[in-house]
Amino acid sequence: MTKSKPEILMVDDNPADIDLTSEVLAQSEGHFHVNAVNDGVEAISFLHRQGKYAKAPVPDLVVLDLNLPRKDGCEVLSNIKADPVLAKIPVVIFTTSEARSDIARSYKLGANCYLRKPGNLPEFVAAVQSMATFWLGFASLPQRGKR
Amino acid sequence: MLTETIASDEKVTTQDPEQGRGELHALIVEDERADAELALRVLREAGLSATGDVAQTPEEFTELVRKKLPDVILADYKLPGWNGMESVEILRQEGLDIPVILVSGALGELTAVECIKQGAADYVLKDQLGRLPESVRRAMREKALRQENKQAQEDLARSNRDLEQFAYVASHDLQEPLRMVATYTQLLAERYAGKLDSNADKYIHYAVEGALRMQKLVQDLLAFSRVGRQGRALENVDSNAVLQVALKNLEAAIQESGTKVEHAQLPQVIADSSQLVQVFQNLIGNAIKFRGAEPPLIRVGAESMGQELVFSVADNGIGIAPEDREQVFVIFRRLHTHAEYAGNGIGLSICKKIIEQHGGRIWVESEPGRGSIFYFGLPAKASIQQRG
Repeated sequence: MTKSKPEILMVDDNPADIDLTSEVLAQSEGHFHVNAVNDGVEAISFLHRQGKYAKAPVPDLVVLDLNLPRKDGCEVLSNIKADPVLAKIPVVIFTTSEARSDIARSYKLGANCYLRKPGNLPEFVAAVQSMATFWLGFASLPQRGKR
Repeated sequence: MLTETIASDEKVTTQDPEQGRGELHALIVEDERADAELALRVLREAGLSATGDVAQTPEEFTELVRKKLPDVILADYKLPGWNGMESVEILRQEGLDIPVILVSGALGELTAVECIKQGAADYVLKDQLGRLPESVRRAMREKALRQENKQAQEDLARSNRDLEQFAYVASHDLQEPLRMVATYTQLLAERYAGKLDSNADKYIHYAVEGALRMQKLVQDLLAFSRVGRQGRALENVDSNAVLQVALKNLEAAIQESGTKVEHAQLPQVIADSSQLVQVFQNLIGNAIKFRGAEPPLIRVGAESMGQELVFSVADNGIGIAPEDREQVFVIFRRLHTHAEYAGNGIGLSICKKIIEQHGGRIWVESEPGRGSIFYFGLPAKASIQQRG
């Protein structure tokens, strides 16, 4: 099966995390393409191809921070899982929070995985690489790109 | 009704230094008005600027207590239809700390003792009213002390809560910027090692080390502040299983150092199991860290001693000087430089906090160069208080 470049949507208000994640993914073998937005409202516009995102690709994976400006990660997650087409896209919560309540709430809202941002470089690289390899490599998912 | 106030003749002139408002307001529970007036006169003659109300029935008493908040109750014991000790019960129900002095005719030794047990501050016989002023003064002093104590305890509890809240918030919010510093200094080290001038590698190394050490510090501080905040219900725990979890968590350090751990059959305890794992892990981790020239040999045991189950973790490490045996449990207290032994001085203070939360105690016996034995005693089942 030939695939075009896997598209990842990263929703994070921390440019340092976006840079680092993009770098790790760009250097890994999957040749992923990272689209980054900085808040929940932008994320929803991107996913629904509204306004300047009319030509945005349908992501194959959403990497979602919880603590976001304007609309928080849980609202974005609910929005994705309420849409029959978007609901098929795996959503990985990628956050610094280790609060049990955040973990429970995320899974309840349909998150596919909850990953805490590791505090040091080797673990951060390993976490991002294994996340992408698993969800965009090993995992079988519904056919992508279909609306 | 005989509830009008009997005013002081010399309100302005007499100031009792022990009374903040320079005036003593008494509520006198008495069916003989003459007796009430006599009691007040005795107080005034002794230099107390006293005023008083008289209550004859429980209803009057309750009303006056609420309205006037008297400093002291002078209660006759035998009254028509009730007795003075009922006033103690009414005060208790109203949540008021006002000393009750029984002023009565012959009371009998047994009744008198029983009244004091029930909460009366003192009793004075009517034919020995000369004792009344000193009895009132003492009751007022005791009340002031009680209130100071209560205030001090409340202040301490509040300040501890504030401190824990601060430690939690500070350490929680520190994690995020710290993660940036750690990750990006590590990235610098990885990308630019050997490419900058001769000092740059060293400087970057210092920055990475500092950030990682601070991360550990912040995580430990969070763990420390969590001990009070996230108390879970205590349950029946097999301490053998708890020890196994702790050993598993320390697996790498145990193998690397060639540590041998011996343990006896350990008892069931009532505890928060994850906190108990933490205690064993910190104690055994320390035994490994502060090892002597020989490979570490650690013995874990437990013994029932009366109302207490005493656990012990004995090692053959470097030991602790007598003057430092209390110090090691104080938060941030370290006995060595970072170059000698890594650490931040939080581990044992976490142990102490956990054990004390369980109603127990922790201590150490040691001689420098001859190892240490850390003991912690947990109360046997009955005396354990449940935590929220």
